[in-house]
Formats: sequence, C-alpha cells, structure tokens
Amino acid sequence: MTNNVSPNPAALAGPLSGLRVLELADEKGQFCGKLMGDLGADVIKIEPRGGQNTRSVGPFYKDIPHQDRSLSFWHYNTSKRGITLNLESTEGRELFRRLTATADIVLETFPPGYLPALGLGYKDLASGNPGLIVCSLTPFGQTGPWRDYLTCDLAHLAAGGQMASSGYDADDVADAPPIAPGGGNAWHIGSHYAYMGIMAALFYRDASGEGQYIDASVHEACALTTEGAIAIYLSTGEVVQRHTGRHASPDNSVKIQLPTQDGGWVNVTRSGSALNPARLRRLAEWMDEHGLAQDLLDEKYQDLATVQADARHTTDVLANFFANMPQEDLWTGGQERDFPWGAIRTMDEIMGDPHLEDRGFFVEVEHPELGQSFTYPGAAAIYNGSPWAISRRAPLIGEHNEEIFCGELALSKGELTLLAESGVI
Amino acid sequence: MSLPRPLEGIRVVDFTWVRAGPWAARWLGTFGAEVIKVEWPENLDILRMNRFTVPTGVEPGPNSTGQFADTNANKRGITLNVRTPKGLEVIKKLIAVSDVVIENFSSRIMQRFGLGYDVLKQIKPDIVYISMAGFGQTGRHHNYGTMGPAAQALSGLTFLSGLPGVPPAGWGWSYLDDTGGMYGAMCALTALRHRNATGKGQHVDLSQMITGITLTGSAFLDKTVNGRQARREGYPPGNRTTWPGAPVTNNYRGPTVAPHNGYRTKGGGYNDWCVIACFSNQEWKNLVKLMGSPSWADDSRFDTLNGRLEHQEEIDRGIESWTKTLEKYELADKCQADGVRAMPVQSSEDRVEHDPQLRDRGMYTEMDHPMLGRWKFQNAPFKLSGSPPEMHRPPPMIGQHNREVMEELLGLSHHELEDGYKDGTFWPEEMPMYPYVEEALK
Ligand SMILES: CC(C)(COP(=O)(O)OP(=O)(O)OC[C@H]1O[C@@H](n2cnc3c(N)ncnc32)[C@H](O)[C@@H]1OP(=O)(O)O)[C@@H](O)C(=O)NCCC(=O)NCCS
Repeated sequence: MTNNVSPNPAALAGPLSGLRVLELADEKGQFCGKLMGDLGADVIKIEPRGGQNTRSVGPFYKDIPHQDRSLSFWHYNTSKRGITLNLESTEGRELFRRLTATADIVLETFPPGYLPALGLGYKDLASGNPGLIVCSLTPFGQTGPWRDYLTCDLAHLAAGGQMASSGYDADDVADAPPIAPGGGNAWHIGSHYAYMGIMAALFYRDASGEGQYIDASVHEACALTTEGAIAIYLSTGEVVQRHTGRHASPDNSVKIQLPTQDGGWVNVTRSGSALNPARLRRLAEWMDEHGLAQDLLDEKYQDLATVQADARHTTDVLANFFANMPQEDLWTGGQERDFPWGAIRTMDEIMGDPHLEDRGFFVEVEHPELGQSFTYPGAAAIYNGSPWAISRRAPLIGEHNEEIFCGELALSKGELTLLAESGVI
Repeated sequence: MSLPRPLEGIRVVDFTWVRAGPWAARWLGTFGAEVIKVEWPENLDILRMNRFTVPTGVEPGPNSTGQFADTNANKRGITLNVRTPKGLEVIKKLIAVSDVVIENFSSRIMQRFGLGYDVLKQIKPDIVYISMAGFGQTGRHHNYGTMGPAAQALSGLTFLSGLPGVPPAGWGWSYLDDTGGMYGAMCALTALRHRNATGKGQHVDLSQMITGITLTGSAFLDKTVNGRQARREGYPPGNRTTWPGAPVTNNYRGPTVAPHNGYRTKGGGYNDWCVIACFSNQEWKNLVKLMGSPSWADDSRFDTLNGRLEHQEEIDRGIESWTKTLEKYELADKCQADGVRAMPVQSSEDRVEHDPQLRDRGMYTEMDHPMLGRWKFQNAPFKLSGSPPEMHRPPPMIGQHNREVMEELLGLSHHELEDGYKDGTFWPEEMPMYPYVEEALK
C-alpha cells in the first residue's frame, strides 16, 4: 500500500476547522490569518471602514487600481470572510465585543497600546471569554526602546540581519550595497512565528481551558532568521561577508551560482553532497557525453584528497560545462544523478511544473465578481488527514457585513443601514 | 520558571538533520515537548561538523559546533542504527510511546527503514508524522534532494533578490532551512491541534521547496492573473521599489515609494549602512526638514511621489551625502524621532552586542554547554503570558542520553544496553567511543 495518496479534500475538514479567528491585521499579520484560514479556521477579517490599507498595494488586476483588485490583497487574504467596523465608535466597539465572545483567537497588528486604549485589550476581551487567545504581532513587540519605531519590510530586513548577509562578491558587482531580498518576507517571517505561538497557545488551552496573550515581534522573528550568522559570530567573533548567490561566510568560498548557456543560472550547492571520487566520476561521465569533461576523467581523481584539493579547478571545469548547456537540462540532469542542484527559476518556469501539478499545488480559485477563476499557489504541505486548501478568494470590502451582523448578531437590515450611515461599518 | 510549558507531555521522535528539520523540532522542544533526537554516527549530521562555528580553544568534534548547538537546543539525543533488526525494534518501542515523528531525509528513506506512515500508524494509531523532503514525498520528482539555496532558487525566491542587469544576489543564508524549520514546527503543532479535536493522527507531507513559492508574495498572481513577464527591465530593483527609468511594476515588497534604499553611514565600515524609506509626502517632508532643508532637497520636483520616483538617483545621492555624516544608530534614532522610517543594517555582532531592543526583550538566553561553556541561545520571538516558551536544555552530545532513554523510558535492561553497544545497535562497532559514552555505561 502507499501512504501518498491525498484524500479528496472536499470530503474532509481542515485541521483548524471549528476555530474562529478575528483578524485585525495589515501587512504584518494578514499572511498569518491566511494560513489559519487555508488550514480550515473560520477567519473573519475586520477592516476599518473603507477597507484595510493593504487593499491599495499593487500589482492590481489588469493594472487597474481598485481596492477589490489588489493581487497582493488577493494573495494574502484567501479563505477569509470580511466585515468592516469602526472600532473608534461606541457601537463599533460593542459589536466587536459581541464578536469576540464567539471567537477563539484574535490576531491584531495595531501599534502597541491602541486596543487597550479603546477598552479592547486582552484583559477586557478575555473577561467574558477566558479561553480567548489574543496575539499582537507588531514591529518590535509591546515593550522596549524601539517599541514605537516606524518600519517597513526593508527596515526589518536591515535591522534583522538579512541585508548584512545578502549581496555580491566584489568581483561580480563592485561596491554593491547589502541587498534586501524581495517578496515581503519580513512579514512572512513574523507571521510564521505568530502562527507558531498561536498554535502553542491553542494546544495549551486544550489541556488547561485557559487562553492567553501573545506578544510577538517581527524584529525578533527576523533577527532569528539568518541561519548560521549568529552562531559564527558567537563562535569565532567573525562577521560574515556577502557573496553572490550563496551563503555569506567569513571566508571567500567557492562560487556556486553558475551561469548557463541560455542566460540562466544553476545553484550547485555542495555542502552535504561534497564531491568524492565516485560522484566526481558520475559527473565527469555526463560531461564527457558532451565532450566537456576536460581532465576530470583522469585517474588521479580516484583519490579523495586530490578531489578535495582540486575543488576550485573542478568548479572551473563545471562552470565551462554549464556555460555550454541549457539551465533546465543542467539542474534536472544533476538531480537525476543525485546532485541536489536547483535552477534559478522565475514564475515563468514554475508555472506548469509537472511535479507541482502532481501535488495539486496549482489551485483554481473562483472570483464570482469577475466571472473568472485564477490560478493560486496552494498547499506547501499535504495534510493526509485534514487538507490545507484555499476555501474562497479574498473578501470584497464589507462583503460579509450582512451575513455576520444580521445572520449571526441578529441585527435587522434597518439597524445595518443606520450603522453604515453613521460611520460604524 | 514555574509557569507550565504549552507542549508538556508531548514526546517527539526527531530523526532530523542539517538545519531545516532540527530547527523545527527545536521549537517543539522550546514549547516543552520532550524531543529525542535519533542519530547514527556513521551518517553524522553535517551541522556537527560545521567548521566555521568551532570556537577557538575548543577541541573540534561533533559536540563542538555552535551552529549545531543553537539548532538542537531543548532536545535529548540517542544513537541508534535503525537499519538493523534490533535497532528497528527499539525505535518502534520508542514510537509506540510518542506523539510525533519528524524527519527531513530524502523521500524514501523512512520507507527503506521500514518506518513508512503505514507502519508508524500500526505502532501508534494517532501518531503525527511530519516528513520534510525537499520536493515532498508525493509527485514525480519526490526523489530530488535539496539544500536551502537550491530550494530557494527553484521556488522563485532567489530571482527576487538583487540589482537589475546583473546576476541575482539571492539570499545569503539558507532562508528555506530557517523557514522549512518553521513550517515543520507549524505542521506538527497544527496536526497535534487536529488530534486534540478529533483523536486522529495523520501524515503531513511538507516540501521545503514548495514552501518558498508562496513566499514570493504576489509575484505568483502577477504571473497567473496579469501574465507579467518575470524577466523585465529594471527588475529586481535592489533595495528600491522600482528602478529609475524602468516602467513601474510592483516589486512584491509593498507599495511603490521613494526614497526607499540603503545608504552608507559614518565610519564607512562593511556594515555601516542604514535604510530609509518615505511612504508619503509627509514623511519626505519630515526627512527634508531633518536633513536641514538642504537646497538640493528643497525642490518642487520632489514634492510628489512621481517626481521622487523619477529622480531617485539624485535624491539617493543627496540623502547619502547626509547619512555619511552620522553613525547608523544615531541616524536611525534621529529619523525615528522625526517620523521617518529608518533602521540600521545590523550584522550578527550588532544584533548580539548593540541592538538595544533585543537586549531589552531578552533575545538571548545563556546556558552551560559541556564543550562550549557558557553559551548564548536564541529565544522565541514572542512572549506567551500563560505558558511561555523556554530554553531549558543545551543540545545533546552525540549519544548522550542512550541510557536514560533505553533503560528509564523503554525499560531495556542494562545488560541489553551493553549488548547493543557490542553488536553495533547503539554505536558503530569500528568507531571509538567518547569518554562520556563509556562513563554512562558504567
Ligand atoms: C539533506 C539531504 C540532501 C542529504 O542527502 P543524503 O546525505 O543523501 O541523505 P538521505 O536523506 O538520502 O539518506 C539518509 C542516510 O542516513 C542514514 N541514516 C540516518 N539516520 C540513521 C539512523 N538512525 N540509523 C541508520 N541509518 C541512518 C540512512 O540510512 C541514509 O543512508 P543510506 O542511503 O546509505 O541508507 C537529504 O537528506 C534531503 O534531501 N533532505 C530533505 C530536504 C532537506 O531537509 N534538506 C536539508 C535542508 S537543511
């Protein structure tokens, strides 16, 4: 039997089903909310009147800006329902309190002190709901000298140490600055850890019945996420140097991002698969099929010490082979020969990857408002007993106001109208 | 610390190695799970050999690397050859009394051991099994191996990083090992939560490489929805949001604004840089005032976002002539005091020694390590009011807890333990034993 058949997702509920999350989050926490939603929680996104500011971040659908057309907002807000609520109004606060009585988790990213000042701090909210878990995800946490500092993705990647590790060898790009990698990853890193903290709190609640308050810091999360840089400093007092496309290190290591004939690059990470005579022979035979093995089939390479001593020479010969072969053939050919290589792919190459298709990674998500479906990135992990699956596209502004305020909190349509007219929703 | 830990009572069989897997299990340990790392000295975890992190004056060896230490804190460790019938029997005993099995081997190793999910769930029906193969265990290329940098390249993350017109700079560390580790922990916690709710365990088949694709942000939808060409003029735009002169397309980091860049600061050292970003006209005005309203900056062309985007080169040159007169922390503090987003580029040394925020929040906990002495470990980036995570145990020396685990937990007799050392179950027959291993046998 095989354990690899993923069950029909429609037949099963996600691992977090039955949990309700209220999300009051901007760019810092919306990804955490998405993860909980995709994993089955009932996530209600509570936006300020007029919509969350993350709706005005591009790119936009067909490059026409509109708050319901931000692809960034689409990406980060799947599997959520959305309502609007003005927490600075008395009625808004009251409605929020009624909603928190139905919630398991509140995730918020306001500046420290904002919710408590409105009478909506953890203690206020938990008094009627002792199992409630409140997670505040903020740039620096609720305390400390930088608590109120203003940030952005770039600022976090600077302070967190990502930039100090990323950049170029001087012989590739002279005078290059430290580089902050793109994609908005300071927020991803913060959201991952917030997610972990929330899960730990949930697990504890299952045992104890008690909720708790989580004070999560994007800065600390980033400062943790530079792999060996801190350990190298603690061990040797050395600060790493930036290198093109490979680990920052105290030394001038061998280049591993090799250009290919068709203008691409392949990363030939060595660590963990260090060359030995047998592996080098396997490589050399392949190169020889293309007449590019140079001296690598020489008998002297049947000796481990020689192989190790000649690493730079081998890399030069390899680089020449790469310069004469297309990117796709190189990385897959390497993998078929048990070398853990990877091409530098762009979205152009990732689309249609048959392996990703096998895993059901490309997911069609319906946008009924546009009468169309679009392909979204799906699950990074296949949960064989409870699927990770996008349940719906991001909400339009206030899309579920009626469903939640009237359907759940039993307001009448008339009351809903009054709330809208008086600036509450 | 008298507060309870959230995962108290959970036992984890940790087959992980290198960085991604061990980092996942480390967090489960930090939450109070009892994590038992299973190793075999002939297939040594390469982090135990990381040459850059053996402190001077410390004898090199598998218990002497700082990188292994921080990555494997809060665990106990055993050595067990699960490729022998006897070793397999012992590991099954351990799995029978455990809640989670986690591993990051290549995709078919566990099945080769005779420990695929079908077997695991016979031993322990509600087991949570987390596998972390680079491409996952499902799909035609499941057998492809990955280390962080290759996974980053394949996922599209590497391409997002760098200056236009030159090769990608990529990520100067294994971002997808750190992140793979976070996902390993997230998957385990999520599946445990599901087990609490339903009584059911499951296999979670995680792929380190695929994790990265979603982390390219809206790059994916910009392709599938808008058909945007990935290779395009001015992309990636370095630390800017868009490259001057190139058509404006989003760079998937946030809104398109200027200035938004890294600037050299006083001292001119390798990491003497500070980033500054103005997200609104007001923030730009604040910056101009802070710089002392120099004549170059007091220019109506820069009053609007469009103008600032168009003239980024000029603006960046002007800003840098000012930032070079100030030390990076001083500069960031001044900016922040006047409502301008700025942060220093911090090296590892800066974070450990100079970052007042990390110091105030207690980012590092010291514990005694048998080889490294008093050693700093990185804490969780969040505080839980009721059941806080905690660094409570230095990493295991290889095979350190064999006796505790075999005799106290699994009920093997001392005689059986000794036999296992002789027949190659608990230690390779040809390999000399460390003094602490022999000591533990007495
Ligand atoms: C990292 C990686 C590329 C290393 O590849 P590798 O060295 O070929 O190792 P594999 O995972 O294929 O195999 C594990 C080996 O250790 C042996 N081993 C490990 N623990 C053992 C134990 N307790 N008892 C006996 N044997 C053990 C296995 O038997 C196997 O050796 P074999 O193939 O000779 O039987 C691979 O493990 C991988 O792709 N992992 C998943 C992705 C990942 O996490 N990468 C690392 C990110 S930091």
